[in-house]
This record gives sequence, structure tokens and C-alpha cells, in this order.
Amino acid sequence: MYPPNADTLKRPSFDDSLVPPCQAACPLHMEIREYVDLIAQGRVMEALQVIRDGNPFPSICAYVCTHPCEDACRRSEVDKPIAIRALKRFAVEFGGDRMISLEASTAHPEKVAIVGSGPAGLAAAYYLRKLGYPVTIFEAHSELGGMLRVGIPKYRLPREVLEAEVQRLIQMGVEIRTNTRVVSLDLLFEMGYKAIFITVGAHQSLRLGIEGEESPGVVDGGTFLREVNLGLRPSVGPRVAVVGGGNVAIDAARTALRLGAKEVKILYRRSRAEMPADPAEVEQALEEGVEILFLVTPVKIAREDQHLRVTCVRLTLGEPDASGRRRPVPLEGSEFDMQFETLVSAIGQAPYIPDDFRLRIGKGSTIQVDPLTLLTNRAGVFAGGDAVTGPATVTEALAAGRRAAHRIDDYLQHRYPLLGKDAKESSIGDLLPRTAQTVKKKTRQEPPVLPPEERTKDFRPVELIYRWETATDEARRCLRCGAGAEILFQDKCATCLTCLRVCPYHVPYVDASGTIQIPADQCQACGICVAECPAKAIVLRKPYDRRQVSEELDHALRSAAQSKSKPLIVGFCCQYGLFGSGTLAALWRRAQAGIWIVPVLCIAKLEDEHLLRALEMGAEGVFIAGCGDQCARENTAFWVAQRVEKVRKVMAQLGLQPERLQVLQLHANDEDPLKPMDEFTQQIARLYLDSTIKQEVKS
Amino acid sequence: MIVAEQKPLEEIRRMIDPYARVLILGCGTCMTVCGAGGEREVSFLHAALRVAQAKGGDRAHDISEYTVKRQCDLEFLDVLADRVQETDVILSLGCGVGVQVIAERFPDTPVLPGINTSFMGAASEWGIWDERCAACGDCRLDETAGICPITRCTKGILNGPCAGPKNGKCEANKDVDCAWILIYRRLERLGQLEKMRRYYPPRNFRTIPRPRRIVTRVKREPGESNGQVAV
Repeated sequence: MYPPNADTLKRPSFDDSLVPPCQAACPLHMEIREYVDLIAQGRVMEALQVIRDGNPFPSICAYVCTHPCEDACRRSEVDKPIAIRALKRFAVEFGGDRMISLEASTAHPEKVAIVGSGPAGLAAAYYLRKLGYPVTIFEAHSELGGMLRVGIPKYRLPREVLEAEVQRLIQMGVEIRTNTRVVSLDLLFEMGYKAIFITVGAHQSLRLGIEGEESPGVVDGGTFLREVNLGLRPSVGPRVAVVGGGNVAIDAARTALRLGAKEVKILYRRSRAEMPADPAEVEQALEEGVEILFLVTPVKIAREDQHLRVTCVRLTLGEPDASGRRRPVPLEGSEFDMQFETLVSAIGQAPYIPDDFRLRIGKGSTIQVDPLTLLTNRAGVFAGGDAVTGPATVTEALAAGRRAAHRIDDYLQHRYPLLGKDAKESSIGDLLPRTAQTVKKKTRQEPPVLPPEERTKDFRPVELIYRWETATDEARRCLRCGAGAEILFQDKCATCLTCLRVCPYHVPYVDASGTIQIPADQCQACGICVAECPAKAIVLRKPYDRRQVSEELDHALRSAAQSKSKPLIVGFCCQYGLFGSGTLAALWRRAQAGIWIVPVLCIAKLEDEHLLRALEMGAEGVFIAGCGDQCARENTAFWVAQRVEKVRKVMAQLGLQPERLQVLQLHANDEDPLKPMDEFTQQIARLYLDSTIKQEVKS
Repeated sequence: MIVAEQKPLEEIRRMIDPYARVLILGCGTCMTVCGAGGEREVSFLHAALRVAQAKGGDRAHDISEYTVKRQCDLEFLDVLADRVQETDVILSLGCGVGVQVIAERFPDTPVLPGINTSFMGAASEWGIWDERCAACGDCRLDETAGICPITRCTKGILNGPCAGPKNGKCEANKDVDCAWILIYRRLERLGQLEKMRRYYPPRNFRTIPRPRRIVTRVKREPGESNGQVAV
């Protein structure tokens, strides 16, 4: 029977199982594609909602996430990846994250203790509280946050942000015990806690293991940052050396600058390519005047009068070691001396787990756990975060906290753990070169930063927030991997090849059996084939895109019918870019009466039928306004012109003047976007008046 | 493939004027491929006719729409039985074949052609269609290097080119390639230029007795086998 109808055949369901690479790379598996698209439309509050669904502390991640999503972003095959973290920061700031308050009620009697209040501990508390457990956090320091508080400098994560998230946890009813060092887990069980989550982090700095390491003036990175971050102002000399190449080394160097050091040198034993620190951070450190000496390591420290004489040796890179990085080999006879007042060693950190915990300890002093359930060798004791993995990222710790919360829930409810729910693999491969080449290049927009001479004066946040226009523009660069077109009704497909011929990105192809295929991992979701398919067999995988135009149009027409303002004018306007930035609403407010705006997610998705429907429902004039040169896609105007011509042909045969349907240019570059709109309104008003007079005369 | 184009809206409006209930019927094969009568065109025409009612002062029709896989096969039309009961006229967006098969299948309901069946042809690119075959029933493409002089030469001559072509274009239409120049070039490429030397006698221009019928089965009388088509 053809075509399948709802009564007789099960409707084919479209395939939305494709996980975009960014989402697969994110330890929290956040729905990045969705919130980036919402930002592109200027729907920031909804974007924040999506972010909050997948991340307990988005405002923290917005500052410090190491964005593995950006490393996985397929836009890098075209030009540069989307600035996802900066966009999240924008959504958090503009979406009203500060206003969000959370509540939770207790549904279970079993108390859970969390030892350590770093990101993993806080995340576990958040999710356990949401699941309805009474939660107590034990923190050895005077304030909550773990590494977020004592490790990360204030210029990277302002403390108000952390404070706001902590306050929200307290609001949710999490019990906080600071200045409380847990010495025995048995005691916690005796206190009535049914499950314990150990997340004590990795605060113990590794030692250099060289002569003179105990000299005054030598300090380890962890201690140095902790003192600064807890409000002490350790005195640093004018010349500071930092040993190491990780984020802690960079943080220590930049912190030393802010404490007044005149000259800061980082000594790193490998080259820049091997440096584990975030390249953007390294760049910022260099801008601020930090000097990095590569292939150099100290071998001896000697205290002389007021300074340290540090003997260093030059190195060269040999064979790769177990970590896959090339092992540095000292060059004989290359010793040289340098003088510093302070030396910070930041060559790595490890957890310190008290023996009384009676936990099995593995490699690098970390706690051994079952990787799936995070359960340790003791019943009811779970562990996660840096204490298990060794020093890692905030996002990984949050993910560990979330997983721990769910596993503790399973444990307390005597459920077999529901595994695999948070495991997401991306099935999306690389972009084909022919597709990557046809995607319009658009420069990645970096958020503004304070100038280096400004920022080294104090601990103000270095990175500023996007302007609204920049953020929407940046978000529009997203390729929307896996949300593209799909031939949903294979039985309707006449293999006419229209999709193959109209696709600007050469995505559809004919397979060996003569069937047309639209590979989901190549499609850019522009919607042109959807609007052109003569059999209406193609849909976009994202349900929102599929329905939007007709629904918005119906909504506008209903509201227009109620308002009874004459003449009625319907404008289909691009929701992305300029219009998405709130200007659309402003435009509408300032427009002359009778204009009803239907937001469209790219005017290439507008079908000829939509134009006819507006006319049928009484519109005297219809206009289409795209975003012009800003458009992230190719060929949009061509397809709009096709459809406009087709509809004008119909209008001509019905005696309707073609100028009633127009494509207006309301771009950002125009002086006043209102002007062409007003002219159109006046033109339609004249036509309307003419036809009314003619009718009167006739009757 | 059969290529067609939709009739002007005015003509369609005139045709359906006497009928209150109209079923617009699309065809999911050739008419979908050539973009003249697939599901998209059906609903476009539907929308256009509604605009005609709203703005053009046409009488109010009760319009419904449907698209079948292929209008030229009776079996595909069974699904329409109920819908046809509910309509006064079928406006077919099938080719001339489709319109007639529908007329046979539903003898009590008038059927109107919504499109002009134009020719058999191919798409040279998106949205551009060119005639390629005249269905003359006497194919000579082997002699003309796969290029049909009957359809592609304006004069349809069998021993070309005439004296008219300029720069490879037809004297009657400067935008059209001279079919015989194309034939010459391709024969040259294939190393078969001697075919240009031959004289092709006139084709048999005797009127083809119509309707033509091709029988591929052994039992000749309709209704004698499973191949029966129930009307």
C-alpha cells in the first residue's frame, strides 16, 4: 500500500542515535550540538537549560574546562574548531545562571559521606542530593572546592563563581563540615553513614630528587598555589624559576608574576610539543612575560646569601618512553648556573591516602577501584577524581562524581548497576575532503582577553565574555554533525537525484544498488534537499528543525487573526545571526503595525508552500529576510530566489502584484534594518488601499 | 523518462470550477522525478488553489490530495477507492497515461489532466530537461553514434547536416546544438566516420496504426491467464 499511512503502517522513525564527536569526547557527554545551536539562535536561556541538564556546575566548567570537545570538533577539518567553552561561558553569563536556585527533598534514609570537596565530591553531592539522599561533605581545608579552591588561581576561576555553586549545594540541603580531616572510615560508618565516597584529590607534590631541594626558597607548586589561593601572600623574590611543564607550572609562573616577581622562568625538560599544559594558557603566560626554557632541567640547588644558585643541564630528546613522549637525555658537559630567589617545583602531584583508610593503593599512590562501579576494596566505599586517576581535569572529576552518585544509588537500593548509560561513542567519522572543501570558511572568534600589562597587576579574570553578536556568529559555525537530512520514507523516494543535484556539499550519492544514500556523518543539515525533494521523502533528524516553519507560521497567523490589524504582512526572518541576537524582537517591536514575523532557521528551509499559506491566510504582503553575508552557508539566496519566482508565477495568474512578495536585505551592515521594512509596509498599504477602493467602486 | 509540466493555474481553475469536491492525485514515479506531479507539487497546487479561493474569488472547493506510487498501473489505484467516493472529480498530476488509466479504473468519476505530458527526455542538470526520444518505434541510434536526429535535429533529417549550422549551432535556434555536427564529432571520436558516407533512405512515414500494442506473452487473448487485469 502506498504511501504508508498512520492507520495501516507503523510510521518509520528517524535515526537520532548518532552522537556528535564533541559529545562523545566530553567526559560529561553534554549535548553540545544542541546548546551551541540554541546560542546561534540567540535562545540563551534555553541553551543554559541544556547545559545545566548535563553539567552540575556549568559556571565552573565555563572558566576552567580543558574542552576535549574542541579537540574532537570536526570543524577543524574545515578551518578551526568551534569555541565551545567560551560559548558556554557566554550562555552561563547571559542566560541568567546566577538566578537559578535549586531545591531537593530527601527521599531516602541512607546517609552518604563524601570525603573531599573537590569537583568530584561536589558533583557527587549534587547528584546524590537530587536523588534524595542526605549528604555530608567532609573537607580538611577551611573552605570547600578542593583543587578548584586551592589549586586553580583566581584569574582563571573567580571565587564568586565557586561560591555561588557551593551556596546552591547548601540550598539543596547538603551538610558541610569544613576543617574536618577524616582519619578513619570506620568512624564514618559508626556515625551512621551507609556509603562513603572518597575524593581527596592529588595534593601531594612530587619531589625533584636533587641536591639542595630542602633549601629555603624552594617550594612545591601545590603548596605555593594553595597558600596564595587561601589568601596568604607568600613572598617571592624578583627572580622565580618554575620547574615543570604542566598546568600547575604555568599557573605557578603566572601567579608569581602577579605576586610581583620581575622575572619568571619555566624550566621544562622536553620541548613545547610535549608540554602537557593547555596551549592557550602557555600562550597567555608568554604574553605576560613568562620565559620558558625548553630542554633544561635543574640538577643541583645551592643556597648562597640571598639567592639560590641553580645548576641546570641541557637535554636532548631520545627514544619514546612508556607515556609515548620522547625521553629527555642529558647532554654531557652542558651544565650551567642560574640565579633565582625562589624556585617552585611543579613536576606532578599524587594523592595521599591515610593508611587507616585500609584501601588498596595502586600505581602512583592512587586508590584502586572497579572502573565501572568506582567501588574500592571495602564494601560501601567508593572513590573517584584525582585520588583514583592521578591529576586530571575538572570535567573528568565532575563525570566521576556523577558516576559515583549513580553507583552509590544502585548500591544503596540493592540494584544491579545500570551500566553503559553514560557510555557514549561517536559513530561519526571524518568529513570527506570534498565536503570539507565546500563548507564556507568562517574565522573562529576568540573571546576578548585583558591586555597582558593589565592582567598581571592583580588576580582579575583574564578572559572576558563574548559580545552577543560575536557569540551567535561563533555558534553558527557549528556543522551540526549527525543532525542532518535522512531519507525517512524510502518507499516514496523515486531516486530522482534531486537531493544529489541540489546539495551544496556533495553529500548524497548513489550506491552500487542504485539507491540514493545521504551519509549522516557528512550532511551539514542545511535543509535544501528537504525543501526540494519532489516526493517529500527527506526530513532533518532534529525534530525541531523539521516542524519549525509551519508551526511558527500557524502561530503567527493565529495571533494575527486575533489582532485584526489590516493590512496583514508576514515576514519570514532568519533566526540565526543578527536576528537571533535579539534584534529580531526589537525590529518587530519598532515595526509598523500589521507585521507578523515568523522566525526561520535559515531561509533555505523555507518552502514555497509556506509562502502560499501566508497569502491564503490573508497576508497582503510577504517578505523574506535572510542574514545576508553573515550566512554560514552557501547558496541560500539562490534557493530563495527559485521559490520566490515559483510563487510569483502563481500570484501573477491570480492577479496579485509580484511586489507583494519580496526578499528584503536587513543585514547587520545596513544603517537601519527598519527602513526597507517600512518601505515595504507602505507599499503594501498603498496596494491594499487601491484594491479596497476598486472593490468599493465595483460594488 | 516521461517529462511533463504543470498546466497554467488559470486553466486548472477553469477545469475544476464546476466541481465542489476535488481530489488532486500525484504520481510517485516519472512525475515525481521530473518535478511536475510528485507529492510536493500536489501540495503546492493545493496551496495555490486555496490562495485562488482566498484572493482570486474562486468558488469554494473542498480539496483533498493524495499521491500514488504510479498512476499507470491499475493495481496501485485500488487504495483510492474510498477517496474517489468522496470526490466529484479527480485532478490527476500523472502523465497522459496515468489520466487514462484512472479514467478506466473509476468509470463514474470525471478525471482532469493537471499537467501537459511533454516528451521523453533526461535532466541535463537540476531543473533543466531535454527531449531525447520520440518513440518512433524504429531506432537508428547505432548508425548515428547514439545521438537521435529525429528528436535532436530541428528538421528531423536522416542525412544531415543541412546547409544551415553555424559554429555547431542550429540555424533555427542559435542555442541548440546541431544534432548532425554532434553525430559527426562522435563518429569521428569512435573512428566510424564512414557511417557519414552512407545514404539513409527515408523512414517509413506511413501513419502508424494506433493504438500500438506489444504482446510479450504466449496466450494472446486477454483474460486467459493470471495476467488478467481486473477492471
